[in-house]
Amino acid sequence: MDYTKKPLPPIVAKLGTGLLGVGLVLVVLSFVTDTHRAFFDYLWMYMFLVSIGVGSLALVALEYLVGATWSTPFRRISEFLAALIPLLVILVIPLIFGMHDLFHWTHEETLLNDPLLQAKSAYLNVPFFLIRTAIILLIWVVFYFLFIRNSLKQDDTRDPLLTKQSIKFSAAFAILFMFTITFIAIDWMMSLEYHWFSTMFGVYYFAGTMVAAFAAGTFCSVQLNENGYLVSNIKDNNYYSFATLLFGFNVFWAYIGFSQYMLIWYADIPEETFWIMMRMKGSWSYFSIGLIFVHFVIPFLILLPRSSKVKPKLLTVISIWLLFAHAYDLYWIIMPSYFTEGFVFGWSELGFLMFAFGLIITVFRMRAAKSNLVPVGDPKLEAGLNFHLN
Amino acid sequence: MLKNILNKIKEFDTAEDKEVRSSKLYGKAALYNTPNEITEAAAVVAGKGYKKFDIYTPYPLHGMDTAMGLPPPKIGYVSFIMGITGTILALVMMIWMSSIDYPNIIGGKPFFGLPGAIPITFESTVLLCGIATVLGLLILFSKMPKLNSPLNDTDFMKHVTSDKFGLVIETGDEMYIEDEVLNLFSKTNAYEVQDIYFRESNLTKKTPLFDKKFTMAIIITGLMTAGVAYVTLNYVLYETVPFNWMWQQGRIDAQSKSDFFPNQSGMRPPVEGTVARGFVPYEYQGMPDSVVKLLSNPVPVTVKSLERGQDRFNIYCSPCHGYTGDGDGRLRDQFPKPPSLHNEKVKNWPDGNIFHVMTNGQNVMPSYSEQVSKEDRWAIVNYIRALQRAKDASEEDLEKAK
Amino acid sequence: MSLDATYTKEIPLVEGGVSFKDIDSVIALPTETKPTKGWWIAFLISLTALTIGAVSLGLTIYYGIGMWGNNQPVGWAFGIINFVFWIGIGHAGTLISAILYLFRQKWRTGIARFAEAMTIFAVMTAGIFPIVHTGRPWLAGYLIPLPNMNGVWVNFYSPLLWDVFAVSTYFTISFLFWGIGLIPDLATLRDKTTSKVKKTIYSVMSLGWTNSNRNWSNYERAYLILAGISTPLVLSVHSIVSFDFAVSVIPGWHTTIFPPYFVAGAIFSGFGMVSTILIIVRKIFNLKHIITLNHLETMNKILLATGMMVGYAYGMEFFIAWYSGNTFEQFIFINRAFGPYAWAYWIMVSCNVIFPQLFWFKKIRRSIPITMVLVLLVNVGMWFERFVIIVTSLHRDFLPSSWAMFTPTLTDLGLLLGSFGFFFTFLLLFLKTLPLVSISEVKAVMPGAQPTVHPHPVKEQLKITN
Repeated sequence: MDYTKKPLPPIVAKLGTGLLGVGLVLVVLSFVTDTHRAFFDYLWMYMFLVSIGVGSLALVALEYLVGATWSTPFRRISEFLAALIPLLVILVIPLIFGMHDLFHWTHEETLLNDPLLQAKSAYLNVPFFLIRTAIILLIWVVFYFLFIRNSLKQDDTRDPLLTKQSIKFSAAFAILFMFTITFIAIDWMMSLEYHWFSTMFGVYYFAGTMVAAFAAGTFCSVQLNENGYLVSNIKDNNYYSFATLLFGFNVFWAYIGFSQYMLIWYADIPEETFWIMMRMKGSWSYFSIGLIFVHFVIPFLILLPRSSKVKPKLLTVISIWLLFAHAYDLYWIIMPSYFTEGFVFGWSELGFLMFAFGLIITVFRMRAAKSNLVPVGDPKLEAGLNFHLN
Repeated sequence: MLKNILNKIKEFDTAEDKEVRSSKLYGKAALYNTPNEITEAAAVVAGKGYKKFDIYTPYPLHGMDTAMGLPPPKIGYVSFIMGITGTILALVMMIWMSSIDYPNIIGGKPFFGLPGAIPITFESTVLLCGIATVLGLLILFSKMPKLNSPLNDTDFMKHVTSDKFGLVIETGDEMYIEDEVLNLFSKTNAYEVQDIYFRESNLTKKTPLFDKKFTMAIIITGLMTAGVAYVTLNYVLYETVPFNWMWQQGRIDAQSKSDFFPNQSGMRPPVEGTVARGFVPYEYQGMPDSVVKLLSNPVPVTVKSLERGQDRFNIYCSPCHGYTGDGDGRLRDQFPKPPSLHNEKVKNWPDGNIFHVMTNGQNVMPSYSEQVSKEDRWAIVNYIRALQRAKDASEEDLEKAK
Repeated sequence: MSLDATYTKEIPLVEGGVSFKDIDSVIALPTETKPTKGWWIAFLISLTALTIGAVSLGLTIYYGIGMWGNNQPVGWAFGIINFVFWIGIGHAGTLISAILYLFRQKWRTGIARFAEAMTIFAVMTAGIFPIVHTGRPWLAGYLIPLPNMNGVWVNFYSPLLWDVFAVSTYFTISFLFWGIGLIPDLATLRDKTTSKVKKTIYSVMSLGWTNSNRNWSNYERAYLILAGISTPLVLSVHSIVSFDFAVSVIPGWHTTIFPPYFVAGAIFSGFGMVSTILIIVRKIFNLKHIITLNHLETMNKILLATGMMVGYAYGMEFFIAWYSGNTFEQFIFINRAFGPYAWAYWIMVSCNVIFPQLFWFKKIRRSIPITMVLVLLVNVGMWFERFVIIVTSLHRDFLPSSWAMFTPTLTDLGLLLGSFGFFFTFLLLFLKTLPLVSISEVKAVMPGAQPTVHPHPVKEQLKITN
């Protein structure tokens, strides 16, 4: 193993800062011109960051839990992407001030006139809502620090016991992750239309986060590896695994999405179908059909042939594509509550998207500057570097 | 008899293998002990440019395809094409069957609703893809069944299906030179070299599938199966409970004979005085009009009862009495004309008398109790009263109506 | 915490330093020897159960499904419960052989063949029930979209028809998967046996397979493709089974989480059954070197994980039922937990969610007697899960006037017993006739089985002298 740490090229810093700067200007401008819309855009961006940050941490846990070796040389990348988690705590603050704009159920008069809301007001009330969000964020932050501390410590001590400890954390986190991601999805997205309910919703968001986090990890890993920032000599077998899992996660998302849609379509109960009908109104119908193609059909057909699974350029493109597809998916979930007549994508939305990407790149860059890009002390690293499919 | 057969089987089971091979050499076979030796040997043989050679291993070895210089397997194309075919076939089938040939609305859904069609489309894709992959592997790519391959039933095969690794270079290779091959084997550490000869059947180029006996056996089996199926489906099952579409049931048809009762009737006559449901007998049947004072109208005059009365009157009474009760019905001149219902006699009758006439009949008018229910007859009485009153309308009534 | 960092080493999949020849003889032994007394006892018990089942089946077919305890409103009961139960059991086989193959989990080799066989027999068992439930099973041909005298086609939007397609596809693909896995092993047996009758049979069944690498090359790719299509197939089959319930508007049935919930449950119950039988088989046939304690431990971990997924679904259903504000939905769930069938509900929860939590402890994961008890409980719990879903949702209809309780009849119980008899009879016959562990796959993962050199052909053109 021959790893020497190299600083990331300046283009990364430029790109990150540039996107962040332009994004920030647009975000501020958006809040000034149309606060209501800006809050919805902000929620969209926030959920996207949750997907990448928390999803990446879940991938780290997953690797420990199943004892995968092929991904060990790339685990740091997911860990760095998970560095978004502490920021989520700060980023949630503006949302709290936007709750009145976002959620109809926070309005006094709605509560008085809506027996359905009264029935669930034990759950949907502002104090409990905030407590839940706080607990969920706390869990994420604690586990983020536990994982990264262990992983970084291992670079110096090379102590295999740390891996064993991390496996225990992973088991705990896997369970907590499932519940936190479910309730964050129910609270921040499903309750936008507080009449609507679907038991699958948590799983649906979970499937989306896995695609997004894995796509982000794939993109960074392939780029860094191709340009020689990681241990040399990692090739086809690991790429094949990236592509296959990306493919698998995406098919899983499609399966969950289809099942949820089909069951609502088939049973045709008005209290459920209205949520779909909102997404079939005006230009939203094109947007909804587009989701099938953007998120599923096109990536599926591209990733299906075996030959395309080992092409780094193709992997780069498809992982970026899937990142945008997840943003598209979240837009589809969140925005119909604001743009009720048809979808709009203006400079405001673009600004928030730029801000999100700028933030991800910057956080990754700053985190990567401080530590090794490869977990050099991990006992599984050797096996990961020599990984062969057959 | 049975013992004889068993003995024959036993004899066959323990008999020596008597197959005599031809003298034509199929190829030279070498056996190796370790996976590394065989992999290196494969690379050397491939490097020398041999084409008709193959490696025989108890399990697939990693990297052997590269060592042998094999192209990547092509079976994926078969799977992909047949999978797509499955998708298209399923969709075309469902679109045609459920929205063109016999359109049916089910659960308020469109004739063809894509979300509901996805499961079957998916299953069909997988089914065709899977079957094509297996058949493609066995028949297209492995040329199976190849029971009479020269390699089978040899000592060489016994080793390579267990724990040794084999290499065969066929004599058919254009570069085959015995000395070179043997030299190659010894250089690559083969621990044993064997000669593999063709079977006699390999040389005759006859496919056993078209053997006369075999073909006959297939045809006879087919005919017998078809015959048994035909008889079973058309004769046996149609007579047998429970397969006979419920033709035979534990009931007695009307008017049929039964041995259950001594007089062989299928049913018992009802007990005397039995009244059928909904058929309450009229207690003044056939009695003179004088009894009518005992009858009083139970149906109050309401819009509903008048409408019902009008309805019944127009159906049952108007053919003779006419729509207004003037006695000028549609049957006039074909049937004795009834008296008008507006004469003083009828006007002065109590309600019960009209009812009595309808129920009992009068002169040529038959009883209507079979066609018109008791309540409806009273409703008709009410309606007739209304008709009588309408005939007597005065100026004052017009004022009131306003 | 001790210092054994076993996770960093490759855990040996075959223990005790056995050779290739030993593998052949150990795996072929059951097919070569006369059945033992234990086998005969097991076989007779299964056969008895099968006979009872056959009698019940005969009664059902002759007199109709009025012989069952089904009533209004509980129109679906034991028939469908058993169907879903056995289909669920059938999922572990394909999961082990396909999904774990894709994930390169090499430990699967020891148990894959056996689990695949279980899949096939379980699907066969499951298939009986819906066909008999149609009332006139001899008319089952009408389930297939074939031209008929009425000119009408099947209803493609009925989830019951989806079942027909899903189950038949699943059976076919599982069978093919199992079949092509058997071919190389049958070739090995063909060359090993001394009996000429057996040799003839094995020769025909192995289709003349020669272990040629040109064939192995395509074989491995075909295996990968089959694994690739079987994986979504496994998900789809139990999803479609869940659609039978979820597309309706019955409270307790119509809920969107059903597809993944059913799939997780199926894997859970399938692994439960595989473990149950494996523990016995590895002891009887002396396969402790091939089916090691590590295998059992890994399976226990999967049981723990899938058990928790099922628990998540139980919780989510309950929470959303409350959250929805739909009184019917709320009633059905409270009725499940505290109504007349509460005992069934709590059997389900404790067997599927609570007891498997013991698998958190390594000692329990590696203790065979405790594992045996727990996996048996899983089997019971998963049967009751289907009972709870089907019966408790139906027995309280929307109108209290249509409420009723369900009581199984003797025929019902006979069929349930018979289904076990059917399954185990086939399984026991399989154990004595075919290699119950894949010989070629086990050999391929043994220590030292794979070459450490990876040469490319070196082009040195031979000169043709003549």
